[in-house]
Amino acid sequence: MSDERAIIKRVLDGDYDAFEHLVEKYQARVFRHIIKMVQDRQQAQDLLQETFLNAYRGLSGFTGASSFSTWLFRIATNTCLMYLRKNRPESVEYDDQIENTRNSDFVPASPEFLSTPLDILLSSEGRRKIEEAIDGLPILYRSVIVLRDVEGFSIEEVSKIMDTSVAAVKSRLHRARNAVREALSSYYKDKNLSEHRRAL
Amino acid sequence: MTEMKSCKDFCDCLSDYLDGQMDEDCCRLIEEHLDRCSPCALMYESLKTTVLVCGKGLTAQIPDDVRESLRNFLRTHCRKENV
Repeated sequence: MSDERAIIKRVLDGDYDAFEHLVEKYQARVFRHIIKMVQDRQQAQDLLQETFLNAYRGLSGFTGASSFSTWLFRIATNTCLMYLRKNRPESVEYDDQIENTRNSDFVPASPEFLSTPLDILLSSEGRRKIEEAIDGLPILYRSVIVLRDVEGFSIEEVSKIMDTSVAAVKSRLHRARNAVREALSSYYKDKNLSEHRRAL
Repeated sequence: MTEMKSCKDFCDCLSDYLDGQMDEDCCRLIEEHLDRCSPCALMYESLKTTVLVCGKGLTAQIPDDVRESLRNFLRTHCRKENV
């Protein structure tokens, strides 16, 4: 952290190369967050550029009250939300609740999912299913699960990044995780059943 | 302390429990329940596995062309202005 503050001070003193160190360190994580938010590669590329340009321009306003990564991801989130509200308002405005009819909290856990070895769960096919399950969530839910479970931010940091309450983050995370759990459980249950039928 | 009576109450708390967001008394109640309720224990294990595979499964790197265009874009725009 103190190294990062020293780098930020160098940028503020006019050393552009120091800013490239920050870009190099964070670009992959920020891109992953943005592409999950907007689900469009070309748009994600443009928003990534806008995010880092906004960060560069706003760096003198970085007070250190939060970590640099939290501050940067907040800029990325705001940049995406501004774009979405302008271009795809329906994706944000009607997106604050996973359909009640899903009631995913109460779908029982599937033993087939739990008995699948980790190397299968994380094979290319397994990863594709994880991506699909997350991509199927409404934006506020997939953002929270990506920030918490993929990027490793704390609940409090996610609430700052998303500019929402800790209670809202916990609630969305609970529903998002259960929806992904349900999707993966269902997939591995079906897969196990079809493999069993083929074996007969 | 959250009142937990049914399996639904316990399942509603599992995400917070995984995140270390429950107080000591609630943790104890959850652990006692998981010890004696196998459907909830299965639910907890599957939620834990879900969190694990999400964390390990989404590791896509930034494509080279995106990285290159970002570098060029920022050099063009940032070098013209002071922070």
